[in-house]
Amino acid sequence: MDDMIICRCEGVYLSDILKAIEEGASSVPGIKKRVRAGMGYCQGRVCQPVIRDMLESKTGGEKMPPQQRAQTPVRPVLLDDMIRR
Amino acid sequence: MSYKVVVAGGGLIGASTAYYLTKSGAEVTLIESKDIASGTSGACDRAIMLQSKKPGPTLDLAIESIALYKELEAELETELEYRKSGGMIIIETPEEMAAMEHMVERQQKAGIDVKLITGKEAQERQPGLSKDLIGSTWWEEDAEVNPLKVSFAMANAAKSRGAKIKLGTPVKRLLTENNRVIGVETPTEKIYADAVVVAMGVWTPKLFEPFGVDVPIIPRQGHILVSERMPSFLHTGILSAAYIANKLKRNHQSEDPDPFGVGLAIGQTHSGSLLIGGSRQFTGYNTETNPEVIRKIGEAAVRAFPLLAKARIIRAFTGLRPYTPDGMPILGPVEGMDGVYIAAGHEGDGVALAPISGKIMAHMVCGENSGMDINTFSLSRF
Ligand SMILES: Cc1cc2nc3c(=O)[nH]c(=O)nc-3n(C[C@H](O)[C@H](O)[C@H](O)COP(=O)(O)OP(=O)(O)OC[C@H]3O[C@@H](n4cnc5c(N)ncnc54)[C@H](O)[C@@H]3O)c2cc1C
Repeated sequence: MDDMIICRCEGVYLSDILKAIEEGASSVPGIKKRVRAGMGYCQGRVCQPVIRDMLESKTGGEKMPPQQRAQTPVRPVLLDDMIRR
Repeated sequence: MSYKVVVAGGGLIGASTAYYLTKSGAEVTLIESKDIASGTSGACDRAIMLQSKKPGPTLDLAIESIALYKELEAELETELEYRKSGGMIIIETPEEMAAMEHMVERQQKAGIDVKLITGKEAQERQPGLSKDLIGSTWWEEDAEVNPLKVSFAMANAAKSRGAKIKLGTPVKRLLTENNRVIGVETPTEKIYADAVVVAMGVWTPKLFEPFGVDVPIIPRQGHILVSERMPSFLHTGILSAAYIANKLKRNHQSEDPDPFGVGLAIGQTHSGSLLIGGSRQFTGYNTETNPEVIRKIGEAAVRAFPLLAKARIIRAFTGLRPYTPDGMPILGPVEGMDGVYIAAGHEGDGVALAPISGKIMAHMVCGENSGMDINTFSLSRF
């Protein structure tokens, strides 16, 4: 299969993610820490479901890898707005 | 037949210990309950700041660690984003100035060439810093590195030198026979070894509780804010004097004016995101973020760099520093229990001290002389 971009924010390719899984990544955070997928501006909103599907198919679909906890702030926010009471 | 060693915990310290053990010729099994860098080593900053270390044994360790870091990218054939960036501790008030003058004096005595510079000189070195600063320290030897890359590269290097790596495998208990640790038990098997190194960070005490051995490591929570990618503008590592004061504080009193221990620690990743910390709080094993703390860290950042008011924060997280009562790591055997060693308790210095800690443990476990006085860091000092 041709390689394709999975995480646009950080420019991470399918092959990078497959390599991370091969290296032992078994969760969304494990992929993120190895290849930065989901670390960028949208915080994995777009690529996380795809990555979860990939992990599921690799583990034979037995267990759903844990969904990453939504991290505050839920949307990107200006520091200026954040520090104003 | 070679020496069999189990390393429990795959953070910076366990991965480094496993790597240096393979270099010493040991047959290594690294056992990690979740994944490499899934604990504190995956929730921290990137500073290798010597300036922030207390003069004495910890500073000596850090100096040796930096020497190892300089060779590590070549040795592991992996890019680790290691960079000798220099570092500053920025000073906002006369009280902080007095404290930093004292610290710099002690560091200069310890042979570190830290200088005090004016606020204006600080701005010249690091454009964007506030005009309100009254001064700063500067030391050119401070550095930075990507701790995730270090953790994975060390684990991979250990693996290619023959180490077995078991992820998703918690160590349930230490196996003993006549006061001697002979291996570990996981949910699926017993793994026997000549020696076990416990490098489980803040989770280390749990393995020793059943034996009545008290390991005084407590989680000390820290927050980090992550910004969107920005053009590279941070030239040096930056901490605030308030950060140092909080780090050296041994315990937070209830009447403490700042119960969150907020002080600025800021760095920029290669991808352009800023990592903005931090806080220091004893909240047990809780890793929830606190909006109040996030706001205070934001304030500290904008005070130091007014232009950051326009930066967008995309995420915040916390990590648990393995705090010890005297601020030094525990590296050594356990009195009354043969065959087991602890490598944990690095508080806010684990990134800086990872290479040297792994090397010391490898030498100690394999009975080689590391040229260090191991008693300084032993558990029995408490
Ligand atoms: C906010 C923050 C910022 C920091 N910034 C810096 C910095 O700029 N510079 C610096 O030098 N240091 C910094 N630190 C400190 C540094 O991150 C730590 O000292 C270091 O990560 C500790 O590494 P460790 O390997 O001991 O612990 P960990 O990385 O926590 O590793 C322990 C591992 O043990 C595993 N484990 C737990 N229980 C078991 C079990 N039963 N069986 C098997 N495995 C188990 C865990 O899953 C974990 O992976 C910072 C820390 C924080 C929180």
